[in-house]
Order: sequence, then structure tokens, then C-alpha cells
Amino acid sequence: MTIWIDAACILVVFFSLSILAAYRIGGMIQMFAVQSLVLSFMPVLMHSHALSLRDILLSLGTMVLKAVLVPYILFWAIRHVSMRSEVKPIIGIGSSIVCGALLIAGSFWVSSSVTFPGKIASDLVIPCSLATVLLGFMIMVTRTRAVTQVVGYLVMENGIFLFALSLFDAMPILIEMGILLDIFAAVFIMAIVVNHINEEFERSPAAVKRWSKMGESI
Amino acid sequence: MLFLLIIMPLLAGVSVCLPVRKRFRIELLCGVSLIHAVVTAFFWKQLPAPEFNGYLVLDYLGLILLSINSVLFVAVSFYMLGYFEHEPRRNRIFTVCLFFLLSTVTLVSASYHMGLLWVAIETTTLFSAPLISFYRNQQTLEATWKYLLVCSVGIALALMGTFFMAIAAHDTQTLLLPTLLSNASTLSVNWLKLSVIFLLVGYGCKMGLAPTHSWKPEAYGQAPGMAVVLMAGGLTQCSFLALFRVAQICAKSGLADFYSSILIFSGVLSLIVPAIFILGERNIKRAFAYSSIEHMGILVLGLGLGGAGIFGALFHMINNALAKIVMFLTAGSIAQKYGSARLEDVRGVIRVYPVTGVFLILALLAGTGMFPFATFHSELMILNAAVSTQHFALAALGCLCLGVMFIGIGRIILEMVYGQTTEPVLAKKENLFMNSAIAAGALILIGIGVWMPAALTKVIQGAAGLIK
Repeated sequence: MTIWIDAACILVVFFSLSILAAYRIGGMIQMFAVQSLVLSFMPVLMHSHALSLRDILLSLGTMVLKAVLVPYILFWAIRHVSMRSEVKPIIGIGSSIVCGALLIAGSFWVSSSVTFPGKIASDLVIPCSLATVLLGFMIMVTRTRAVTQVVGYLVMENGIFLFALSLFDAMPILIEMGILLDIFAAVFIMAIVVNHINEEFERSPAAVKRWSKMGESI
Repeated sequence: MLFLLIIMPLLAGVSVCLPVRKRFRIELLCGVSLIHAVVTAFFWKQLPAPEFNGYLVLDYLGLILLSINSVLFVAVSFYMLGYFEHEPRRNRIFTVCLFFLLSTVTLVSASYHMGLLWVAIETTTLFSAPLISFYRNQQTLEATWKYLLVCSVGIALALMGTFFMAIAAHDTQTLLLPTLLSNASTLSVNWLKLSVIFLLVGYGCKMGLAPTHSWKPEAYGQAPGMAVVLMAGGLTQCSFLALFRVAQICAKSGLADFYSSILIFSGVLSLIVPAIFILGERNIKRAFAYSSIEHMGILVLGLGLGGAGIFGALFHMINNALAKIVMFLTAGSIAQKYGSARLEDVRGVIRVYPVTGVFLILALLAGTGMFPFATFHSELMILNAAVSTQHFALAALGCLCLGVMFIGIGRIILEMVYGQTTEPVLAKKENLFMNSAIAAGALILIGIGVWMPAALTKVIQGAAGLIK
């Protein structure tokens, strides 16, 4: 099973990098959905030798919340702005990818020097989760639109989730679910705020000036 | 009992989603907060038994936070009775969020598992965000966005820290607080250090400590007064509870010095930064927001200094909440009467609204820690702890920053109260409910400043004794 876990870890990092390289907001959200889908198989993969109900529940919960509902809500939030859906990065796509690659290399380097008490499913879990967190941060910082910041936040959360899977037993299932639900609720509220911002935009031209100062240009 | 106390506001919140009268929602909020307060008062006699296999436990620290929030909610709900007499906007989302907030702060006070604590604190962020954009316009949306994003990222770091703690506690396989404390010597020190840093940055962000305070002036400046009271007096102190729990773990596992040094560092930063920014400020709510950062700095400083400082910090938690009632509810009623909280628009309050003018002066004294308000005593205790632990430079710096703060806020408030009169735009009358809520807060604050009841001393000592 290790090979599948390794593959999934690498896919997760790959999708984070592709989100960083995306040029359209719609594409970003789709790639985030696929990343979450890959991630949702992890609990089952990691415990495939002794599958329990909680693994399946966690998998299903992740799948429904992160791979279906969250992308759906994000698409709802940007439904009026399909004409102007560029990402508007602060630094160019090319240099973003180079920086992203450096971050991935850095996280492998850092992870090689930490010792982990106990056994983990695969050596790739820690560096990949760290890389995903850092890439998520980078998306948040260098992409200025409101929705893209939410996607960056979600990528970061995916990284933390991947990390959490490696220490499964410390958290009871209810709390894991609480964490998932909280993140879902956060996105829900953020999407509503983004929606309000858009409406405000359509109502008054003065708003355009104000938000474009902040980088938002819906 | 604890579970019922958590569930009750939740059910009330669901019930006010129905189309009912605006006034009924607020009356129900008053009722629920009063019941909550009465039950909390009984807990002072006898702490409730642990529930859910030890996940929900109320200790003395939780009791302090629970009582603070109870008092804040009672004050705010009665204030709202008056506020919404002049407020044409619909209040459904606002009140629903308040009910849910009451439920989640109760959960924070009672959670004894680091993961559950995280879930509860994150939920408080989510339910407080819609409160900021009650008046929906560009500025409030901008403030809400900043609050949501900064706090969500901060709290995500705290989640990371929680997981690091789970790694450190690999042998015990649980994050239940009593188990962590009794097995503290087996925790892996390196992972625990990493975890402590992440938790401090994460929860510090939610608390508004200096380098990550940027959301505070925006959010407090735009949110209606009663929402700010709950955020500045209640939610930020929920995060302080989390930092206190971390201090408990650190004290047991021999990291006390490491943790104190970073706490003192961030405390000092939170004293200096607002003292710099306050001098150019002309909006009373934003000025109070800077004062709130300062108070958070004092809390963290007290916790970092240890000993008498911890007692002072816990006492300051209570006083800070009460002072916030006086400060932000007064600022809220000014903002409602004048349609603005800026110095240009609000002048000569004492001639138009004599009672509110007096409250503004009281807010100045309470917020900056003047005698006989209890904030004076708790700040003095923490400065005293700094001197007795040989941190002389720290004590001097603290005095200086508090002095600058007094000048900064005093400059704004004195001009607002006694300056050349400007006519209030909206010209509303003084309201009995609003004023009595503020007066009650001020009276309690003076009361515990002059005479501290034995029960209060006992509970604070009990909570301070948790760190050993």
C-alpha cells in the first residue's frame, strides 16, 4: 500500500503547484477539488490493513465536504464574475513556479532533519504536507483576489489535514469531524462575504476604486 | 449541566431563525443570557461534574471565563433592547450569531481537550464575523474580510500547533488536558517547543497580539458597539484561556522559562505598538481598539512573569471585560447618535447628551486603568510582579506605554466631551436600557476595585494555582 500512499502524497503536492500556476479562478477551484478528492482516499489507504468505520467516515466526510460542497460554494461565490476571472498575481506565474519548487525542496530538506516519534505510513507524508502548507501560504500572499485567497487558505488546510492523518489516534473522530466542519463553515462564510463584496461592486462605482486598491477587481 | 448550558443558546438561536418580531428576538436573548448567568452563578458555589468522559470540565479558569461571558451577554442583550428601538435594520442574522456565540464561548470555557478547544475557538471566529458587517457597506465588508482571513490563517497555525502537540504526546495518544499534565515529563521536548510557538502565534493572532493585530482597529472600528464588547471582552479572552492551558502544560514539562520569555516578548511588543499608533488616531472606536491590544499585552505579560503576575492577569481578565462594557457600549451609543465615531463629527457631547458625556469620561478612566476602577489594581499587580522578578526595565516601559495610552485616549475623549458642540446628525434621545447597561458595568468595575469579595479571591487563586 505504501506505493499508493506515496503516489497520493506526490499528487497532492503536484496539484498545489498547479493551483499556484493556474491563470483562471475556475481552474484553480477545479484543481483544488481534485486535490481534495485525492486526499480523501488517504485515511482508507493508510489503514487499509485494518479498515475501521472511522476511516471510512473520515474519507466520506472529506470527499463530500471538500471535494464537492466547498468547490460548489466557491463557484457560487464567483458566479457573476465569469468575464473577469483572471487570477491577478503579484509575481508572475513563471517566477511563482520557481519559488514553489524552492519551497518544496526546502520542505524536503527540513523534514529530513526532524525525528518523528513512532511509525508513520510513508516518509513522504511529512515533507509533502509541509510543502502543501507552504504553497498554500504562497497562493494566499501572491494572489490578490478575494476568492484566490480563500483557495490558498484551503490548500493550506489540505496540507494540515495530510499532516494530521499521520497521527490519527490522538484525535477522536468527533473532533476530526468538528475540524472538517469548521473549515467548511469558514469557507461558507467567506463565500458569503465575497458575494456581498461583489454585490457592493455592482451597486456603486466608488467601490471599484476602493477594492482595486486592495487588489480586488471583481 | 454543562451540556445543557451549551445546547440551550443553540436551540434558542435556531428558534429565532423563524419569522418572529424583531423585539422578541432580543427579549429572548435577554432571557437566555439571564438563565445562563444564573446557572453560572450556581457554579460559583459548586463546580459541575465532568461530562463526556472528561472532555467537558469546568475548572476555576473556565469558570472565570464563563462568568465574564455571561456578564457580557447580559449587559449586551439589555443594551440591545434600547439600541434596536432606533434601528430599522433587520436583526435576524445578528441575533442568531449572538446565540451561537454564547453557546460556543461556553464550550470554550468547558473544553478540556486541546483539539476540542481549537474547534470551539475557531467556531467563535466564524460566528463573530457576520456581526462586524451588520451595517453592510464597503468599509464593514473590508473589515469583515480582514478579520476572517487574518484570524482563519492564525487559527490554522494554531491547528498545526495542536497537531505538533499530538506528536509530542505520542506516548499518551490523547490530548486530554489531565492526561497531558500527568504525563508531561514524557512529552517530546522539541516537538512541544515547536507546538508552543505555533500555538502562541495562532491564538495570539486571534487575541490580537502586536505583530498580528492588524485586523483589530478595522474590525472594532466598523462593528456595532455591542458586537465589539463581545469580541474584545469575550472572544479575545477565550484565546487567552488557550494560552493559559499551554502555560499549564509548559510548567509541568519544564518549558516554563522558554514559554515565559516568548510571552514577555510578545507582551512588550503589544504594549509598544498601540502606544505608537494611538497618537495619530481620531476615531474613538479605533482608539479603543488600540487600547484593547494594550490590554491583551498586559494579560500576556502577566502570564509570562508568573507568580503574582498570573493572579494579576486573571484579575485583569475580569476587569478588562467590564471595562470593555463601559468603553465600547458608550462608543456604540455615540456612533448611533451621531452616525460617526470620528472626532470631527462628535464634539461637545456633555452639552447635548450629559449622561453619555459622563460615561465617556468613565470609559477613559476605566479603560486606561485609573483609580478606583479595578483595572488600576490589576495593572498595578502585573507591574509589581515585573519589579519583584527584577524586570525593572520592563516595569518602566510598561508605565511609559500606559502613560502614552492615557494621553492618547484622553486627548480624543476630552475634546469629544468638552469641545465645540457639533449637532448630532441622527439626534436620538438618551435611552434608559442602554445607559443602565453601561452604568451597571461601571459600577461593578468600581465595586471590585474598592472591595474584592472573598469568593472572587478564592476562584482567582484556584485558577492561578493551575500553573505549578
